[in-house]
Amino acid sequence: MSNILTILVFFPALAGLLGFVIDKNSARVYGVAIAAVEFILSLFLWMNFDSLNPTFQFIEHFPIVKDFGISYYLGVDGISLFLVIMTTFMTLIGMMSMTIKEDLKNMVITLLFLEMTMVGVFLALDAIMFYFFWELSLVPMLYIIGAWGGPLRVYASIKFFLYTFVGSLIMLVGMLFVAYSFYSAAGVWSFAITDWYALGFDMKYQFWLFLAFFVGFAIKVPMFPFHTWLPYAHGQAPTIGSVILAAVLLKMGTYGFVRFSLPMFPDASIMMIAPIAILSIIMIVYTAMVAYAQEDMKQVIAYSSVSHMGIVMLGIFAMNSEGISGSVFQMLSHGIVSGALFMLVGVIYDRTHTKYMSEFGGLASIMPKYALIFGIMLMASVGLPLTIGFVGEFLVLIGFYKISPILTVLAGTSIIVGAVYMLSLFKRSFFGAITNEANRKLKDLNANELVSFIPLVAIVIWLGIYPKPVLSIIDNSVKTTLSIMEQKAITPEAKEIIIAKNSKEEK
Amino acid sequence: MESLVYIALFAPLLSSLFAGSFAMTPKKQFVGVVSSFLLFISFAASAILGYHLLVTNEPIHVKLMDWIAAGDLNISFGFIVDHVSVTMMFVVTLISTVVHVYSIGYMDHDKSFNRFFSYLSAFVFSMLILVMSDNFAGLFIGWEGVGVCSWLLIGFWYHKADVTRDINPSISPSWAANEAFIMNRIADLGMLVGLFIIYWNVGSLQYDVVFSAIPNMTQAVLTTAAMALFIGAMGKSAQFPLHTWLTDAMEGPTPVSALIHAATMVTAGVFLVIRANPIFALTPEVSYFIAALGTFVAFFAASMALVNRDLKRIIAFSTLSQLGYMFAAAGLGAYWIALFHLGAHAFFKALLFLGAGNVMHAMHDELDIFKMGGLKKAMRGTYLYMGLASLALAGIPPLAGFFSKDAIIETAFNEGSLILWATLVITAGMTAFYSFRQVFLTFHGDERYHEFGIHPHEMYKYVLVAMSPLAILAVIAGFFKDGFNDFIINLLPNYQMSEHTHHLALYLGLIVLAVAVSGILLAYIKYNKRLVRSEKTENGFIYKLLANQYYIPVLYEAVISKPYAELSKLMWKNVDMKIVDATVDAIAKFLYRSGDKSRGMQSGNLSNYLNWMAIGAIALLLVSILSLIAA
Repeated sequence: MSNILTILVFFPALAGLLGFVIDKNSARVYGVAIAAVEFILSLFLWMNFDSLNPTFQFIEHFPIVKDFGISYYLGVDGISLFLVIMTTFMTLIGMMSMTIKEDLKNMVITLLFLEMTMVGVFLALDAIMFYFFWELSLVPMLYIIGAWGGPLRVYASIKFFLYTFVGSLIMLVGMLFVAYSFYSAAGVWSFAITDWYALGFDMKYQFWLFLAFFVGFAIKVPMFPFHTWLPYAHGQAPTIGSVILAAVLLKMGTYGFVRFSLPMFPDASIMMIAPIAILSIIMIVYTAMVAYAQEDMKQVIAYSSVSHMGIVMLGIFAMNSEGISGSVFQMLSHGIVSGALFMLVGVIYDRTHTKYMSEFGGLASIMPKYALIFGIMLMASVGLPLTIGFVGEFLVLIGFYKISPILTVLAGTSIIVGAVYMLSLFKRSFFGAITNEANRKLKDLNANELVSFIPLVAIVIWLGIYPKPVLSIIDNSVKTTLSIMEQKAITPEAKEIIIAKNSKEEK
Repeated sequence: MESLVYIALFAPLLSSLFAGSFAMTPKKQFVGVVSSFLLFISFAASAILGYHLLVTNEPIHVKLMDWIAAGDLNISFGFIVDHVSVTMMFVVTLISTVVHVYSIGYMDHDKSFNRFFSYLSAFVFSMLILVMSDNFAGLFIGWEGVGVCSWLLIGFWYHKADVTRDINPSISPSWAANEAFIMNRIADLGMLVGLFIIYWNVGSLQYDVVFSAIPNMTQAVLTTAAMALFIGAMGKSAQFPLHTWLTDAMEGPTPVSALIHAATMVTAGVFLVIRANPIFALTPEVSYFIAALGTFVAFFAASMALVNRDLKRIIAFSTLSQLGYMFAAAGLGAYWIALFHLGAHAFFKALLFLGAGNVMHAMHDELDIFKMGGLKKAMRGTYLYMGLASLALAGIPPLAGFFSKDAIIETAFNEGSLILWATLVITAGMTAFYSFRQVFLTFHGDERYHEFGIHPHEMYKYVLVAMSPLAILAVIAGFFKDGFNDFIINLLPNYQMSEHTHHLALYLGLIVLAVAVSGILLAYIKYNKRLVRSEKTENGFIYKLLANQYYIPVLYEAVISKPYAELSKLMWKNVDMKIVDATVDAIAKFLYRSGDKSRGMQSGNLSNYLNWMAIGAIALLLVSILSLIAA
């Protein structure tokens, strides 16, 4: 029990190493089995998680380089718990639904390594470890896009790698500065995030440090105007790459904001509410419009990811637990729904080898099961109540309303523009007459595919109707983060915004 | 009693799931039968609950489970059966049951028979959530739920291709479905904002908590909340300028038009205003705006119905117009009268639509009333029903519409808003005219359908029998007005006419009646014998304006849809690709090129290196000299 986090992080990678000696033909079964074990382990973590304790649990902490305060430090709280579970779950589902034939063994091993880095990012409590996993996650994705991608794969994968890497380097400089500041203040080096939480900064430093971290996180999210690597990456990546990229990798950016930016630089965060909210609104509306203009089904989903991540960003900067909890929940929701949508696009691509909506039309009568599942995911994507998509979006908007009603109304247009591009996609592909005769012979979802989709549908509905088991745990930890911010805030404006929140709680 | 609440609520869900489990199999008659039976159970439970409330006068409040809890927000699935919700439950489940039975006959030959019942029952479930929830968030669940079911049902015949029409840019069931959904979403944003305002000022979304906290709210907050909520109501109830989706929604199967787009869902906006009456009662400006807009829509929609040739669209316009009446009443503070008209209208309008469905069935889906005529011989039962419903709609005593509509017109007079009163009276005349224009053109006069080779036949017997409860209610509902008043004022504020109005009531009623009767007479003179078309009228400006729905759909297409699509394309091709992405690539290329160019320095040639060294030394020297000077 005490080493469960270590096991969770390194088990997939070790199994991946072992995968090199596995027979080619059993690679897929092997991958699914490992991913399933990992998923069960993460569920086991949830079962043993003390939901009343909002701080870090299952902590493993011992020094690696004592002189520089670098340590092996893992821990999980309500914010990271479900991101880990979502990661293991989506890896499992992705592995199950994979249709790649070429070099399947390499793909399985790559995915298992990728899983290590993703779980590692969410569980690391030492900045150096966090950085290590953060950067390492680029490599398997580079490989997935570069080796299994479409015609432009080299351009897309290098763009993805270099773009996010540049941002991360700037973040690294920020991290080193924070560690140095800690050294100046405490006399010892430390990269432990929990130590950093205790460290206060002047407004001037906060601002520049916030920016340094911001660049790293914002490119990953990706925030407007740093988003253009994403359509290329999705456009070229194989289905499994897109699923993992959209479901998990993007969440690393928003997770970074919650884990680092808010509690470490509360005043700068509050100062930056307005610019970030404006960027988020641009993300929401502008990319929704761009999504509407697309002709390629996969690009619609890719741009819709950016739009939904705008909602997540907005919630983080709502500075109250409604907004931030909603935002973390929206990360999960977007992970499940966009993952499912990319898988659905993959299904039709496997059958027709095209993703252009003009090639489809009338699919609903040929593939009713496919249309049904697509329809459910569509409704979750547009945030229909009683699906997973509503809860997060609603909480984010209600939370941000406290900060600015007008900006909330602008951001709320997401429920309109989101419906526009999704319904238009559905109409063009599924409704109307069957325009392409070749499509008449398409087969509906087979049993294998259904097995991957049904759990996703079940979660979309379950967490839409009863989000409480997840939401209450998230909310506890978010409140802790907010109280750290409250204690550290130095500027009167920041105090006002956070205290206005707390005085309400006392009522 | 608590279990009855759940039976009423969940029987339709069960029905939907049951029918849904057969959705991908060929038509099975028993699916329709079981669904209808489950709906009847829901109706019976609602009726018992209504009786219980009538006797004990005690609302039933149940809490199922928690839903969303984060921060201080705590929303649970709670349901309340009080006077307003039980009225709605009774109306909704009764009409739903009738429409379910009707659909067994109407959808007889449809290969997606089972799927239809699944959607239809899902709609009823959502509608019940909408009316029974004890909080605004629950209302919003139902609100969005009925929206989705409406989307599914309007687009039920999704396989039909887009057809370009002169009035609408391009219309097909799937197009109309998307239009309805998106237009409603615009209004839903307003509704959400209303919820946010209430939450941050009260800390809860539960009706009783919110209403009891009203005294602590400032007028400004109340007014914005009322405005935001009403924007939500405008979408669902298709009030101007968000009205175009309702007539296009007629692309759906006719039972759907009867249930969703006439009797129940479109009245959700009126229901919201009635439900939140403690807020609206304290915001007179907003309320007056509601009444004025309602009156305007009543007139505006009726005017478009005057010249329309499409049987279903005429009825849809009349629905729009009657919704305007309801808003007029609610806006003037006569909440119970609005609710009464909502119920009465639901009965006769559903009857009218189902009758239209019979006609469509007989005419092989032909909807142009100019191609009908003389159908009364072939369709006696339907003729009777539609005649009755039209009389009720026209407000002829002693049918239901007379009592409810007259009360609204009287309210307008009582409030001293003579403009509203006069408009509503004139509209009543127009209503009578277009209703009977449609009846005469369909059932009386020369049998024009022969030209088109159609052999009309009456609907199945059991379908006609199933429609009879609506017919009976359309006749007698008016007599329950006083009883309903006594019942409903336990929850809603009573609305009393002043002494002055009371004295004049008889004359006022006679004026309305005279106007209505002359409307019918005019229609009789013009259309009873045969259809005489005049080129001159039809090419006239006003006729064209009305027939093209004031060119509003064309305008929306030109001003909103097209520019949005073009702007989106511009954003993608020009902004995203040529500016944002090109900048990123330009930076990368600059770095690459500068590296590529400067690579030439490392030529391996010693004399080159010496040159560079000399240049470097000079540069350093210059820098240090300059910095010395600067210092």
